[in-house]
Amino acid sequence: MRKAKILIIDDERGFTEMVKLNLEVTGRYRVFIENDSEFAMDTVIRTQPDIILLDVIMPYREGPDVAFQLRNHPLSRDIPVIFLTATITKEETASGCGLVGGHVFLAKPSSVEELIAAIEQNLEDGF
Amino acid sequence: MPTSPEMKRKLFVLIVENNQVDSRMLKGMLEKTAYGSFDLDCCSCLADACRRLENNTYDVVLLDLNLQDSRGLDTLGRIHHQFPHLPIVINTGAYEDSMGLKAITSGAQDYLIKGKYLPYGLSKALYYAVERKKAEQDLKAAYNHLRETQAQLIQAEKINVIGGLASGVAHEVKNPLATILYGIEFLYTKFEDTDDEQIHVTLNAIQEAAVKANRIIKDLLDFASLSSLQKRAEDIHSVIDHALTLIHHQCEKFSIDIQKKYAPSVPEIYIDRNRIEQVILDLTLNAIQAMPRGGALKISTQVKFFASDDDGFARPPSCSINIGDPVVIVDIVDSGEGISAEYLSKIFDPFFTTKRAAGGVGLGLSIARTIMHNHQGLISITNMADGGVRARLIFKR
Repeated sequence: MRKAKILIIDDERGFTEMVKLNLEVTGRYRVFIENDSEFAMDTVIRTQPDIILLDVIMPYREGPDVAFQLRNHPLSRDIPVIFLTATITKEETASGCGLVGGHVFLAKPSSVEELIAAIEQNLEDGF
Repeated sequence: MPTSPEMKRKLFVLIVENNQVDSRMLKGMLEKTAYGSFDLDCCSCLADACRRLENNTYDVVLLDLNLQDSRGLDTLGRIHHQFPHLPIVINTGAYEDSMGLKAITSGAQDYLIKGKYLPYGLSKALYYAVERKKAEQDLKAAYNHLRETQAQLIQAEKINVIGGLASGVAHEVKNPLATILYGIEFLYTKFEDTDDEQIHVTLNAIQEAAVKANRIIKDLLDFASLSSLQKRAEDIHSVIDHALTLIHHQCEKFSIDIQKKYAPSVPEIYIDRNRIEQVILDLTLNAIQAMPRGGALKISTQVKFFASDDDGFARPPSCSINIGDPVVIVDIVDSGEGISAEYLSKIFDPFFTTKRAAGGVGLGLSIARTIMHNHQGLISITNMADGGVRARLIFKR
């Protein structure tokens, strides 16, 4: 079975490394990292991920702006996006079943288990 | 209805006079005065005066300072201390200017010297004393209200400062926390099979510290976002019951017996369900912590009209509950040892906690009070006469 490709776009280098380690240790995922949101679009097109984990507040280009770009590009518009953010709490996301304004949100910090559950829930069947 | 001296309602006066001749003379003067009218009662010693004051409602007392059982300003002090709302006019033969001024600053409304006044002046002094006392009481009430309002404003300002700070730093702190927590989870996976106990101890300690830091941030954010409420008509019993399901395990663990006594047909109240559940949860958890060796947690509700004896609350300026308003009351009573008076006075202050060592931040009750105030409701914590603590929530219907 092919490993699902995950791209994490987040300016926190330490955090992205930890996500990569935790996901790859399961043997089910291959994780790519982009710490500079200015290059997010290029990295998406280069890596063609099955799902994107996207930080909200980043310098230069914020998460929602990156999501807008993704939706307007034919090579990325169908890739599911999970927003990872410290700006909201678990309770706030739970009241909307993980959805805020129609987007999938995961509050930081969440457990690895919760992260994997959100990824599995949002990966397309057979990716 | 205002009681101005011009209306001259009949005053009920207690004359406390050691000298029988003086006493008869005072009665004579007040009975024949053209200024106002009086119901008079007389006695000659302090003990008798106190007894009568306890059993009757006098408008004013005309007090001789030198009695058989008390002398000088001590006489005034004892009456004033025991009956602080009673207007007092001193009537004494011991003429001393300094004592006159002292008497006024010690709680008397006027200081008359025997033989130096006529019926008209005496009557007027009594009526004016009543009005002066009333003005003093009003001023005191206004001062207390002002002080309370000021305390509330300081509290609100504190909340604003903390709120602004919390929102600002939360994002910055949660990111590194997420990194730490994910890092620990990875190391747990990596060292799953190791026998090295020190590694597990270290990882557990780091994880606990990070989780605790995260909880503090969450409390601060909670504090910051209290003003946004999503109110709906709710059944308070279902809110309490849901909170109780969350503490069920704790109650079993500490052998605490939950005793519910709900009033029949409580009307729905307009509240933010999640916030009120948070308040009830916080209060019940405090109650459980007050009973480490087991006990009873009594939760009751009542529907009634707000009465003065329900009071004793720090009322926020925005509070719209008045005496006689229909209210729903929730009482949470534990059978613990109660709270010391020193702690009780600080219990709602932000960052005040008796559980610092156990990781308490000291925002729980402060948050609870803000939530209740934002519902135009009230919260109080009082020691019960037979031990234990009662937390009371009052909602307007």
